[in-house]
Amino acid sequence: MDTLKEILSSFESEYIENYKPTWLKVKIAHSADLLQVAKALKESGLKTISTVSATDFIEDNRIEMNYFFEDMLNRRNCWLKCDISRELENCKIDSITPLFKGASWHERETFSMFGVKFTGHDDLRPIIISQDYYGKNPFRKDFDWDTHEANTVENINLIADSFKREEAENEKNIDPNSSETVLNWGPTHPASGPIRLKVHCDGEDIIGIDPDIGFVWRALEHLVTKKDFVGAIVAVERLCFMDNINSMLSYAQAVEEIADVQITEFAKWMRVILGEVARISSHMMGMGGFYNAMGLHTVAMWNMDMREFFLDFLESYSGARIATASIEPGGVRYPLQKEMLVELQAALDKFDNTKEDIRAIFVKNPTMRLRASKLGFITEDEVHDYALCGVVARASGVKTDIRIDEPYAAYDKIKMDYVTQENGSSQDRLIQLFQEIEQSVDIIKQAKEHVEQKIQSKEFNPIKDHMVKVPKKLPKGEAISRVEWARGEVLMHLVTDEKAKSPYRLKMKAPSFNNTMMLNHLLKGKTLSDIPLVFGSLYICQGDLDR
Amino acid sequence: MVLKLITKVFRVSKALFVKSPAQEDVREHLMHPSERYRGEHRVNYETCIGCDSCNKICPTHAITMKHLPFKKQNIVPEVNLSVCIFCGLCEDVCPTKPEKSIVLSGGRYDMITGGWHEDQEQFWVNVDIPQSYIDTRLQEEEAARVKKELAAKKRAAEAALKEGKIEKKEPQIGNIDFSGGES
Repeated sequence: MDTLKEILSSFESEYIENYKPTWLKVKIAHSADLLQVAKALKESGLKTISTVSATDFIEDNRIEMNYFFEDMLNRRNCWLKCDISRELENCKIDSITPLFKGASWHERETFSMFGVKFTGHDDLRPIIISQDYYGKNPFRKDFDWDTHEANTVENINLIADSFKREEAENEKNIDPNSSETVLNWGPTHPASGPIRLKVHCDGEDIIGIDPDIGFVWRALEHLVTKKDFVGAIVAVERLCFMDNINSMLSYAQAVEEIADVQITEFAKWMRVILGEVARISSHMMGMGGFYNAMGLHTVAMWNMDMREFFLDFLESYSGARIATASIEPGGVRYPLQKEMLVELQAALDKFDNTKEDIRAIFVKNPTMRLRASKLGFITEDEVHDYALCGVVARASGVKTDIRIDEPYAAYDKIKMDYVTQENGSSQDRLIQLFQEIEQSVDIIKQAKEHVEQKIQSKEFNPIKDHMVKVPKKLPKGEAISRVEWARGEVLMHLVTDEKAKSPYRLKMKAPSFNNTMMLNHLLKGKTLSDIPLVFGSLYICQGDLDR
Repeated sequence: MVLKLITKVFRVSKALFVKSPAQEDVREHLMHPSERYRGEHRVNYETCIGCDSCNKICPTHAITMKHLPFKKQNIVPEVNLSVCIFCGLCEDVCPTKPEKSIVLSGGRYDMITGGWHEDQEQFWVNVDIPQSYIDTRLQEEEAARVKKELAAKKRAAEAALKEGKIEKKEPQIGNIDFSGGES
């Protein structure tokens, strides 16, 4: 950290301060320095850019850029800020994509939402938003949503027209023997979900893949600013239903940090239990998704059967199976009753009884191994370069896990170690999923035992301890909060205004975005039949891809 | 042969006495009953204090407040079920004790409506208040108002009387004091 400080102090900055044990918060005075700073940071070992986030301060007539540089292995990170002008002509900043490949789509997103132009970016096209939003910068504070939505028919026509124009150029002849054809993989492909991969192919061979995303764009980051701090959880959990708990957890932590509220020990342990249950339910769907893409639906059914038991616990606890809305700023939303832990035990038993079958039939499956062990290799360097995280990063042997690196909730009191694979092939990612489920089950067992003990010794009161009050109005401030989500790192950057009743800006960084960015790199030169397998193994969910 | 026939007949005739699982109406049986299941709202118009909290917190603006012809507690929530996402925040913020006035927990799960646009418009949790209740409330309010008016009149009269007395007394006291001082 000290070396980082030294490097940064050689540039003119407004402040350099320590933020949390693992973060350094810096605001550089001139945006022109950005590229130099980024280069220096990269040389000192911060090889990963988590995300790029802009905040529109309309009253000060400036846009604040936030860059989150990370060192995945050594627990040191840097939060870099700088101001740029808000006027569209001058709203420019140097692109860091040439240095950090992982920034590419994040810069495109900022360009689409805020109109920030990144000079030096080689592919600065709008992303996520549909054609009717092009050039309108929907996340700027002065964008008028109502007027835009009033012209529904015109907007739809615009989208349809541009699609038709695009379609007209779908086939190009290169020479008499070959042509470049654009094949639309999705959004109605059985394995795709709502995403369209524009596969440029020559016959069977893939020339390149250009993912067209945004089919389920709900503008969640904008929606939360329209709700109060409690009501925002229902927007945040819709990041992805498969693991809705951990996304709320991340948001709740950010709010608690700004409000300066300490939650109870019991709530922390409950967050661990709920979070791991959600992780298991997500990973089980992930394994199912992997095999679904290969054309075998049995494992999805088997996993679904197991998952029901975990969802039973969530339903007993919160009253809903999928959209639980069960973590609020200030703790967890509901008190715990003893019978729920019995149900949780039933789920754990069900898993313990079934896991050997799953392992024997699906994890060690020879047909899958034959096919998946030779495809979709991601090396360790690529993980750092493209800012991959979570399951995908660990399957390539990178020891990163925010539960250990930057412990939140009660993870600092839990015995756990990094679960990693070696090769980073598609097969490794499936095995990684299964081993992480086992790890989560182990964590739940530890947490459950602890909670039961403390309830027995009357140190926890499960009926009253679950919540502390968080004030309705928050002071001016900002916070970032990272959690290990089912798919990887979720980073939330929350900004509040003076006496705020609702968030001023919430940036949600979700892992599928970077995973989808990898597709072109992984599949270039492969054949069409490899797409489903690689796509399935990357554990992509369109919910957190589009947000 | 005969034995086979008999067993077959027996097996088939069993269907006459045993109820097949397909005949069972499982709509009423939940696979996994949960006390906290967030189903259809129940609104208790008698305890509702009309504080508007549920309307304010609703993240999807599914709640509209129905106006009632009373002076106090004159609004009561109605929920548009096609907009509601069943997050249960309205129940959380409801301040009435011991029982909440708007409750989802353990509510009905079989909310079924037709597929047409008109059906969606009808898909609401409406609060039907019987006329008798409105009448009694109005009567009570009227009675309270009359009582209050009477009380106010009485108080005014008393106050006037008191003031009058004081007016009468004060100079007396003053006189006495004054005269006492003089003498």
